[in-house]
Amino acid sequence: MSLIAVGVIVLLALFGGATATRVFGHDGQTPFLYAANTDQKAVGPWTHVPTPKSPLFDAYGQLQTPPKGTKSTLFVLGSDGPLGRDELIRLLDGLRTSLEVGVGAMLVSLLISLPLGSLAGYFGGAIDAVVSQLTETIMAFPLLLFLLFANRYLISDFRSVGWSWVVPDGAPAEALLIGVFTAFYPTRLIRAELFALRQEEFVEAAHMVGASNWRILRRHLLPHLAPILLVWAAIAVGTNILAEVGLSFLGVGVQASIPTLGSLLSTVWGTIFNPQTYNSQVYTPWQTVFPMVAIVVTVVSLNRLSEALRRAMEPRETR
Amino acid sequence: MRVASYLLGRSVRGVLTLLLMIAVGFTLYFAVERQPPVADYYPVVQHGAPPTRQQTDLVRHLFYLDRSKIGLYLTYLGHLAEGDLGHSSTITLDAAQNGHIVDAGPVAPYQALRVTLSILIGGAVLVLLLALPLGAISGTRIGSWTDRAISFGALVLVCTHPMMLGLILKSAGGKVSWLPTSGYCTLLKRPTPTATRLHLPNGTVLRAPLNYHLCGGPKEWATHLILPWLTFAFLFLALYTRMIRASVAETIHEDFVRTARAKGASQLRVISRHVLPSAGLRVLTMVGMEIGTAIGVCVYIESAFGDNGLGSLAVNTLGGGLGALNLPYVLAVIVLITLIVVVGNLIVDMLYAVLDPRVGLQRGQQRTKSLVGGVF
Repeated sequence: MSLIAVGVIVLLALFGGATATRVFGHDGQTPFLYAANTDQKAVGPWTHVPTPKSPLFDAYGQLQTPPKGTKSTLFVLGSDGPLGRDELIRLLDGLRTSLEVGVGAMLVSLLISLPLGSLAGYFGGAIDAVVSQLTETIMAFPLLLFLLFANRYLISDFRSVGWSWVVPDGAPAEALLIGVFTAFYPTRLIRAELFALRQEEFVEAAHMVGASNWRILRRHLLPHLAPILLVWAAIAVGTNILAEVGLSFLGVGVQASIPTLGSLLSTVWGTIFNPQTYNSQVYTPWQTVFPMVAIVVTVVSLNRLSEALRRAMEPRETR
Repeated sequence: MRVASYLLGRSVRGVLTLLLMIAVGFTLYFAVERQPPVADYYPVVQHGAPPTRQQTDLVRHLFYLDRSKIGLYLTYLGHLAEGDLGHSSTITLDAAQNGHIVDAGPVAPYQALRVTLSILIGGAVLVLLLALPLGAISGTRIGSWTDRAISFGALVLVCTHPMMLGLILKSAGGKVSWLPTSGYCTLLKRPTPTATRLHLPNGTVLRAPLNYHLCGGPKEWATHLILPWLTFAFLFLALYTRMIRASVAETIHEDFVRTARAKGASQLRVISRHVLPSAGLRVLTMVGMEIGTAIGVCVYIESAFGDNGLGSLAVNTLGGGLGALNLPYVLAVIVLITLIVVVGNLIVDMLYAVLDPRVGLQRGQQRTKSLVGGVF
C-alpha cells in the first residue's frame, strides 16, 4: 500500500512536470497575465486562462477581458499569485526538487556515516569513544542552527551549482548540507548494530579462516546492515524533505524563484528574515493548501513505507 | 552514594559539553570573520576610499581579530563563571570621521530566554498531558479502530512542519476573539514602560513606541502561549504516544498487573498506578534526548507567533540576519542553548535516579534520538 503510494509520488515527481507541460501546453515558468484577476489576485483551481496573442489594456492600463473565442489554456490548480504561473506544474517541479534534495541528503549522510559508524562499531576503543562523544555533543545542540550557519557562511560559493532544470541551482548544496548534518543518526545506528554483530559466531569463524578486517566488514557485516539502513533511508528522505521546507521558511534554502515544496509555501508566507503576512489580496488559500497537502502526503507515505519495511524485515531480525 | 557519584559524573560531562561548545563557537566565528568589514563602519571607505591603517586596526579590534584566541577563550570563561555574558560594542564616528569604540550595552538576552523556556516547559507539560491518556487508550486496545485512528492522527501531525502547524493554528486561533495570536507577556508583572528598550546585537538601541502594548500576569501569559504550546504538543505527540502505547501494551500482561486486577482495582487505577509508571522511565530518557531538538522546533514556533525568543535570536545572530557576526551574541546564544540542554539533562538524570535507584548500574542505557530529531 505505502510502497504504491511512494511509487506514485516518485513517478509524479519524475515525469509529472514534463507531462503536464506537454498536456496543457504551458510550463511552470512562464507568467500568464490573465492568470491573475484584474485586482492581481491569483485565479483559483480549474480555470481556463485566455491566451490572446497580445493582451488587451484599456486607457488606464487595466487588463481587459479578451473577446469571446480567444484560445485558452487550463490551469488545473489555479495560478501561483500575481505572476500567474501554473500552480500544478510548479507543485510537480517542486516535488521533484524536494525529492532530489531529500534523496541526495540521504545518500550524503550514508556516505559519511558508513565509514564512521563501521570504524566506531567494529574496532571500538578510542575511535569509538571519539566518534560517540562527537555525535552525542553535536546532537545535543539544535542541528538547525549549525545548518543555518554553514549555509550562510561556509558554502556560499557552492550554492550556484546545478544542472539546467533537472537539478536546479542550489539543490546539490542544500542536499550536501542537510546530509552532513543529519549523518549523526545513522552513524549511531550503524555503530550500535555492528557492536552487536561483531560478537557473533560467523565473524569469529571468518577471522579464523584468515579473512582480513576489511573483508569481514565488507562481505560479512555490511549485508546485515542493509535492512536497518533501508528502514532508516525511507524515513530519512521524509525528514530531509521537512528540513528543506524548514530551510525555505528560514529563507536560506534554494532561491525563492525555484519551486520546491518549501519555497512554494514561503513565497506566500514569507521567511523569517523577510516576514510577510499572508496577503489575501494577492493569494488564494489554495496556494498554501496544495503544497501542504503534498508535503504531508509525501512524508506520511515515506513514514508508512519505512514502517512496512521494518515489519517485513522483523522475522529475519529475530534470529 | 552510587547515585551521587553518577550525578557528579553527569554534571562534569555537562560542563565539558559546555566548554566544547564554546570552543566550537570560537572556532566557527574565527573561521568566518577573517576580513574586517571596514566599509560597514566608515562611509568614506564605503564610497571607495582605501581604508587607512588606523581604521582597519580599529575594526579588527572591534571584531576581536587582533587578540590571542586562547587568551580570549580563557577571559570569556572567566567572565562566564561570574555570570557575565559580555558586552557588545560598536564604532561611532566623531566630527572628524575618526572612529571610537563605544560600549553598546551588556549582552543580556534574558527576556528571550524566558520566552523560550516558557514555550519549552509549558509545551512539554502539555505533550505529557495529552500523550499519557492517548497512549494508554491505544495501548490497551492494540489493533482496534481507536488505536489506529490515534496512531495515524499522531503520524500525520508529526509529518507536518512546525511552521505549517503554527500558521494553521494561528489562523484558526484568529477566529477566537479572546485568543491572542502573537506576542509574549511576562508571567509575573507588567513591565514598566522604561523596560521596553531593545538592545540589538549590532549596537543600536530601539526605544519601543509609547503605545507599545504592555501586558503581564499569569492569565495573559498563559493565553498568549496557548497556541505555541499546542503547536509544540502536536508535533511531539506522535513520539510519546507511540512510546507509551508500546510500553503499556508490554506491561499490561505482566503478573503484577494481573495481581492488581485480582485485588479488585478498577481499570483506571490499574492503568494509572501500575502500568503508566513503568512507561515513565522511557519517557524521561526521551525527554532528555529531545531538548536540543525542541529548541530547534522553538525557532519555527517563535517565528510563527512572533515571539522574540532565543530561537529567533539564534537565527538572527548565527544566520546572518543582522549582517556581520557579533562574537558576544554568537557565544551567548550557544552558551544559553547548551545550558538549557545540559541543565535539562541533569534534571532528567536526577529524576531518573529518584525513580530508578539502579541507575548507576546500567551504564549503557539506550540514549538514541528519535527520527524527528534528525531535522531540527
